[in-house]
Amino acid sequence: MSDYGNPADPNKPDPNQPDPNQPGQADWSQPSEPPTGQPPVGQGDQGYGTQQYGQQQPYGQPQYGQPQYGQQPYGQPTGAPPQNYLVWAILSTLFCCLPLGIASIVFAAQVNGKYEAGDHAGAQESSEKAKKFAIWSAIAGLVVIGLYILFVIVIAAGSDS
Amino acid sequence: MAVSALPATSTGGVRALWAPLGAAGLALAATTYIGLVDPNESGHYPTCPFLALTGNFCPGCGSLRAVHALTSGDVGAALSFNVLTVAAVVVLAGLWARWLLRRWRGEPRRAVAPAWTLYLLLGVIVVFWVVRNLAVGEALAP
Repeated sequence: MSDYGNPADPNKPDPNQPDPNQPGQADWSQPSEPPTGQPPVGQGDQGYGTQQYGQQQPYGQPQYGQPQYGQQPYGQPTGAPPQNYLVWAILSTLFCCLPLGIASIVFAAQVNGKYEAGDHAGAQESSEKAKKFAIWSAIAGLVVIGLYILFVIVIAAGSDS
Repeated sequence: MAVSALPATSTGGVRALWAPLGAAGLALAATTYIGLVDPNESGHYPTCPFLALTGNFCPGCGSLRAVHALTSGDVGAALSFNVLTVAAVVVLAGLWARWLLRRWRGEPRRAVAPAWTLYLLLGVIVVFWVVRNLAVGEALAP
């Protein structure tokens, strides 16, 4: 959670770099849908939703770290969990911007939930959204502080005259 | 956010500690400011936008006063201003220590909190938000 920039895996793409192959990233209307650009693959049809939550897999395959859907979508590694930005969510809920903070916590929970379920691409997608909300709440906080300072200056100027 | 954009180091050791130490420095600076500039006096800080607009407390209301009380060692007052903030300070300090240790050892982040704990956190915040605005939850109001 608080491990910014720690490398998990040399193959891991920088989570901060927008992935050009990830069409679901800007799709706010369907947050829980799998990315639309994914071609249907044989095992992928049963993968989403059925082969999750610790079900026993055949041949004793370990659940984590295995390509579950017959392919690695978008070249995501199965190594380290994506960043969930929970600290930013807590800070913005407490000190700044309640609605953004609440949304951030939901996306942080989605990151962990999807990662647990083996949906690494979905977890990455939720991570991107959590990051966007973290940035927005930081901007909103700065705007509120800026407006307040402006307000105080206006009041001070008004009382001087 | 700028912190996370920097290239990763896999070496551990002292040089890997700049991020947690920088975060601690920022937190310390903010805490010092809140300790010196008293949020109990009006005009020092902006009012919570949610409180100003609706007249109801948000889950974060009282946080500045709680942190100010903590800087003077008054844990009881801090708890009465905002229980969640005091809990968050403890949790964040623990997470920070774990982060520092992991950077020091050069380990990647492997453990993931179960998703239900985060949904529980969300539930606690929402319930706290509602209850502290009710007559029965007056003790939780800032």
